[in-house]
Amino acid sequence: MSKQFELNDASVVVVIGSGAGGGTVANELAQKGVDVVCLEAGKRLALSDVVNDPGVMLQKLGWNDPRKGTPVTTCKTVGGTTMRWSGITPRIQAHEFKALSTYGQMQDTTLIDWPITLEELEPYYDKAENKMGVTGTHGIPASAETNNYKLLKAGAKKIGYKEYTSTRTAINSVARDGRAACRQIGFCHSGCAIGAKWSTLYTEIPKAEGTGHFELRTEAMAVKLNHNDAGEVTGVIYADSDGNLHEQKARAVCVAGNVMETTRLLFNSTSNLFPDGLANSSGHLGRNYTRHLMLSTFSIMPGEVNFHRGTRQSGLLFDEQYHKPERGFNGGYLIETVATDPMTVAWAVGGWGESAADYLENYTKLGGLWVTGEDPPQASNRITLDDDERDQYGLPVPTLHYEFHENSLAMFEHAKTQCEALLASMGGQKPATAIDLGGGCHNMGVARMSADKKDGVTNRWGQAHDIPNLFVTDGSLFSTSAAANPTLTIVALAIRQADHIAARMKNREL
Amino acid sequence: MGTVTSTTRRRFLVATIAASGAAASGLNLALISNASAWAEATDDASSDTAISLARLARLYYPHDKVADEVYLQTVDSILSAAASDPQLQEFLDDAYAALDAAGDQPFATLDPASQLAAMTKLQNEPFFTAIKVQLLLRFYVNRDVWKAINYPGSSVEHGGYVDRGFNDIDWLPEDGR
Repeated sequence: MSKQFELNDASVVVVIGSGAGGGTVANELAQKGVDVVCLEAGKRLALSDVVNDPGVMLQKLGWNDPRKGTPVTTCKTVGGTTMRWSGITPRIQAHEFKALSTYGQMQDTTLIDWPITLEELEPYYDKAENKMGVTGTHGIPASAETNNYKLLKAGAKKIGYKEYTSTRTAINSVARDGRAACRQIGFCHSGCAIGAKWSTLYTEIPKAEGTGHFELRTEAMAVKLNHNDAGEVTGVIYADSDGNLHEQKARAVCVAGNVMETTRLLFNSTSNLFPDGLANSSGHLGRNYTRHLMLSTFSIMPGEVNFHRGTRQSGLLFDEQYHKPERGFNGGYLIETVATDPMTVAWAVGGWGESAADYLENYTKLGGLWVTGEDPPQASNRITLDDDERDQYGLPVPTLHYEFHENSLAMFEHAKTQCEALLASMGGQKPATAIDLGGGCHNMGVARMSADKKDGVTNRWGQAHDIPNLFVTDGSLFSTSAAANPTLTIVALAIRQADHIAARMKNREL
Repeated sequence: MGTVTSTTRRRFLVATIAASGAAASGLNLALISNASAWAEATDDASSDTAISLARLARLYYPHDKVADEVYLQTVDSILSAAASDPQLQEFLDDAYAALDAAGDQPFATLDPASQLAAMTKLQNEPFFTAIKVQLLLRFYVNRDVWKAINYPGSSVEHGGYVDRGFNDIDWLPEDGR
C-alpha cells in the first residue's frame, strides 16, 4: 500500500520523473528506508492500456506539449521512456569514459573525460543488468533469434564481422522477477503489452510502493525548485491535474525529467542567488546536448523476412564500436537490427511515386538495420527557453538547437556503407539509408558530470556542483554520449547515486 | 512560394473536376476510378477539393490494391487538419497554384507522364514535402493500406509470433535448412 506524505514534510527526498533514472533512484532509496515522493507529470497506465500500434502509443505515451526547434521524442507517463524503448542494453566501453584523452581535442567540441571510469561503474552495471533482466547476464538465456537477427548474423559472417549477439536486451527470454517471457509480439518499442520488457511502470514503482517509504503523485508537473539563503534546495513547486500549484518540501531533490524538462526546470528556478539558472555557475546548463548518430538501413531481400514478427531490436553487432581513427572519425558505433511499421518505412525510404510505393509493397521482404554511434558534445547544441511562448502550465516553451558535428557525418558515411554491404551480401536490393529518424530519443548531456566544476553542471555522483542537495538522475548526466544505447547506464548511475545519497544522509551530510 | 489567390485555387479545382471524367477513363495511372460517384456522394465545395487532392495522393503513393476511398479518407483528414492550420492550408494553396503553372495546361488535364513531370519539377518545393509528410503520416497507418502490403497489424490478440513464425526465415545461405 502506497504511503502518503505531507506537503510540509521536509524529510523526504523528492524525485522528479519516474522513468529509467527517476523510477530507479526512487525505488533504490525506498528500499534503503529513505522516504521518497515521486512527482510524475504523466498518468499511470495499466498494461491493458498498451496496444500493439506504434502510432497510437506515441499519442498515449509521448510528451506532446509544445516544444520548438529540433524534435525530440520523450514520454509523459509513469515509466517515462522505459515505456517506449527497444530494450537494448550494452555497456559503455572503458575508452569511451575517457573521450578527451582517447580522441584528443576535436574542433568545435566540448569533449571531456567522464569523472568516473568503467571500473568504478562495473559493479553498478552488474546490479542494473540483474535488476532489468538483461539477456546473457546473470545466467539469463540469450534472446530468441528472430528472422531479422538471423539475417544480421548471416550477413555479418559473410562480410567478416565476428562479434554479433542476440543477448544484451532487457526483455525476458524466460519468465523472471514476476514478469512473463517474451511472446515476440513485435513493435514493442511502443510498450510491451505483457510486461516482458523492463519498464519502471511495473517493476521499480510497485516495488517502491511495497516498502511503505514511497509515494507516487501522477499528473504532478514540477515547475520550479525553491531554495534558501544558503543555496540549498528546500522544496518543489508543482502543478496538479487542475493546474493548482503546491509546494512539496524536500531534504534533497533528484531531477530526472529527460533533457528538455530537466533543463527547463533548472532554468525556470532562476533566482537572485542563481541568476543564470539553478546550478549553472559553469554556464553549461542546457549545453552539450548529444543524441547519438542514428540511422536506419532497409533493403529488399530475396525472400520473406517479416521483421514485424518479434522484437524490434533483437540483437547487435559490436565490431564497429571501437576507436579506429583510420576510418576517418573518432569513436565508434553499434549495428543493431530494426523493424519499423509501414509509416516509418515510408518516412525513412523517402521519395514518392512508383519507387516509394514499390518499396512498401515489399514490406514483408525488408531487412532492417539500425546504428547508434558516438556523437561529440558541442556547446552550441543546446536547450533554451522561449519567453515569448508559454505552455498550458504557463511555462516558457523549451527550444532545442541541434546540428550534426562533421565527425558524426563522417561516421554516417561509414556506417551507411557497412550496413548496406551487410544486407547486400545476403542479396539485398535497393538499399535505403536515412539519418536520424524522427525525434531524438537518446537524449544526453545538458547537465553533464565533470571533474572540474567549470566544465559541467554535476559532479561524479550526479550532484550539482553548486548545490549539495540537488541531484540530476537522467541522461542529462552523460559527460559524452559514447555509442551504447543509454538506458542501462542511466540505471547504473541511478543505483550508484542512491547509494551515495543514502550514505550522505546516514552521515548527516545531507 | 508566394501566397495564392482564391481565384487561382478555384481554377485548379474547377479544371480538376471538369477533367475528371476523361482523366479517370483513359489514363494508365487512373487517379480516381470513380470520381463521379464520389462527386455524387459528396457535393459540397470541400468534396471537390478532396477529390482533387485524392487524385494527387495516388500519384504520390500509387498502390493498385488500395481503393480510391482510402485515398479520399486520407485527404479528408488532411483537409480537416488544414482548417485549423493556416500553414498547412498555405502549403495546399501553393500546391494548387504551382501544379497548375508547371505544365502548359491545368494539372488535372495533363496526361499522366506530364503530371509526373510537373511533380518532379516541384519536388524540392517546401509544399511538396509538406504534403508528402501529411500523406504518409495518415495513409500508411490505414488498416486497408496495411492489408494491401501484407502487414497484418496488431499481434497481441493472436499471442504474438512466438508460435507463428518469428524465426521461420528459410532462404538464408548459411541457415543450414
